[in-house]
Amino acid sequence: MSLSIAGMSWVTPLGSNVNDVWQRLVAGEAASIEILENEQNGARYLVRRVPATTMAHLPPHARLRRASAISRFAAAAGLAALAEAKTPPSLDRIALVFAISNGGVIYTRRFYAEIVKSGAQSASPLLFPETVFNAPASHLTAILEISGASYTVVGDGAVGILALKLADDLLASEDVDTCLVVAAEEIDSLVCEAYRQWRFLRDPKKPETGRGMIMSEGAGAVLLKRSNDGIEIDQIVPGANFFRRSEASARLGSVVSRLKNGIGFCVGSGNGTFIDRAERAAVGDEMPVYSPKIALGESVGASVFWQLITAAKALEAGTLPGSSKPPVDSRAVVLACGLNQQTGGLTLRRRVCPAFQGST
Amino acid sequence: MNFEVKTSQRVAIVAAGIVSPLGFGLTETLQSLRQARDCVTPVTAFSVEKTRCKTAAQIDDGRLLDKANRSRQDRRLHRASYMVRTALAELLERAREFEPEIAIVGTTSGGMSFGENFYRTLGNGGVCSAALIANYPPQKQIVDAMEKFGINAPAQVIANACASGTNAIGHAFNAIRTGRCQRILAGGYDALSELVFVGFDSLQAATPEKCRPFDSNRSGMVLGEGAALLALEELESARSHGAEILGEITGYGISTDNHHLTQPNPDGSGPRRAMEQALAQAQLEPNQVGYINAHGTATVLNDTAEGKAIAELFGDVPVSSTKSMMGHSLGAAGAIEAVVSLLALQHQFLPPNINFREAELSLNIVANEARDAQFDCAISNSFGFGGTNATIVLRRFAR
Repeated sequence: MSLSIAGMSWVTPLGSNVNDVWQRLVAGEAASIEILENEQNGARYLVRRVPATTMAHLPPHARLRRASAISRFAAAAGLAALAEAKTPPSLDRIALVFAISNGGVIYTRRFYAEIVKSGAQSASPLLFPETVFNAPASHLTAILEISGASYTVVGDGAVGILALKLADDLLASEDVDTCLVVAAEEIDSLVCEAYRQWRFLRDPKKPETGRGMIMSEGAGAVLLKRSNDGIEIDQIVPGANFFRRSEASARLGSVVSRLKNGIGFCVGSGNGTFIDRAERAAVGDEMPVYSPKIALGESVGASVFWQLITAAKALEAGTLPGSSKPPVDSRAVVLACGLNQQTGGLTLRRRVCPAFQGST
Repeated sequence: MNFEVKTSQRVAIVAAGIVSPLGFGLTETLQSLRQARDCVTPVTAFSVEKTRCKTAAQIDDGRLLDKANRSRQDRRLHRASYMVRTALAELLERAREFEPEIAIVGTTSGGMSFGENFYRTLGNGGVCSAALIANYPPQKQIVDAMEKFGINAPAQVIANACASGTNAIGHAFNAIRTGRCQRILAGGYDALSELVFVGFDSLQAATPEKCRPFDSNRSGMVLGEGAALLALEELESARSHGAEILGEITGYGISTDNHHLTQPNPDGSGPRRAMEQALAQAQLEPNQVGYINAHGTATVLNDTAEGKAIAELFGDVPVSSTKSMMGHSLGAAGAIEAVVSLLALQHQFLPPNINFREAELSLNIVANEARDAQFDCAISNSFGFGGTNATIVLRRFAR
């Protein structure tokens, strides 16, 4: 048995319909850029946000009444990925794995801001629970009525690979039949400021330049199961860590060398920082490489899932945005390099028959 | 990707390391447990002028940070990094050649106090150092600690609130049990931070009084901090290179209780399912368990739900919450309590549940003093926000 994708969905600044967003990526479109201003110091950041209309169809649920954007994005993506399954998974034998990097930072900032401004006695007991990393996962298990295993995995931009590895291990244990793997992030000025001071952000005065990343938000979700059809995750390799940026290409190269041969193209995590060069060096000059972050922005914890869905669609369509047609029946590699130490990768391949049905 | 599931692999604990308010290392921890030491003291790390609660169980920075021996790079690290490093140093002293394929660890807040400093500095019009930002994320503490000892393994960091440490050990156990890995570094860590302290204070889940788990007059938790790590290895592999085996992990259960974001279902069904699963995997009957290290936060809601589940499932098996001595270290708690349970098995005693005065539930509480006992199996519970419930079973190793 193999690890196959039974459903997938995303919430992106370009929309949430998998096929529509894919077509827009192929057409070379990019999500619109907005300016976000920091109330504390007046700094301005370029951001790509999920349009409010994209979330208009999210069904109401008591758990989402007070929840932050991150939980709403996750719920939308998770529900849509589940709806993709040809056979609805048994709730008794499904696990949830959630990947996150920055997490529920909007409520965290608000909660701490009250402490700083007015003192600890003003801290809100309603906000605090939403600051916890696994709050979005908790909302999702409640909405989906999952009562078995639920894990939230945290890390940098490569956390998605580690979450998928955890899902892979869960499915191998035979305690579960399907695993819903979801990742989500939300934009907040505090996170933007951290990346700005870390010198990773694009200069807001030069939005057209490719240097520096543009923060974004949204979610991605895949429903994984053991079977032999559709798009299959062939291999997952969590990589070693790097401690200087100059080490990143070697760590990524090591990941690539552990993945099986026959890779036709790479969906990478290039975002306008040192990662672009590190990935190119790791895969070599000949390999077609595409990063959806060019069009969708840097969603950190959610980004691997945008890459994974892009790679799956590329295999299905036999084309890679901004590149010549990849070899038929080739494998795709999804490569992930975080900004802060972590690396990893996975390979995808398409079973020729039966035809892949996994998109809306 | 092919699944070749092997379900019969046994999982050995070949080394452990710990730092908590109970002490630095296994020996000090054992001593404190036997002495029923109350490690709760007034908070010194930040102002508690405007909080209801004023105390926590804290690790002495003088010993932890070892200021005399810090390099320039070390000085940038978060306290939590030092905790992990301290625990890892002890573990590697026992298992020098241990090379994990992956680290699976739990935390809830990583380098949170660096995030707090960042926010405050920004509010004061300052600019933070890149090191402060870079050392904040929750994977940094384990990755940096491993680097210090020449280990560069991927870090899978589980943030399942207060169940994180037990989930990390449980998932690592399953990964070895099913033949996916042979050697895993598992555990958890968390350092006290203002945001989290005030958070529990705001929920009135923390107490300004003594921490009295399972007592009829319990009034809430006291926060703690620390780190604990276990070197887990497939048993035959460990035997093949002559490793001393401290104990085994034999079962793991996980469930999700969708009752409320912060409150357990009062019927105790979530904890009960986790404990039942763990027992089933370990192929144990409840009466074969000799000690239960309870989650036992001393909140009214947790202890009622957990106590009900334990009473129904285990009857009069001895129970204690060692959080009464060392506070609740959140993401580290499960890992620390796994080590406590391991020490209890190795040294055949029951760690005490201090500050206990009056029973409410029909539980066999190990009240106030450690007791000698003969037993082969222990379970350790951890439950958390989001309704996460986790239980592991530990077994004394029979040579």
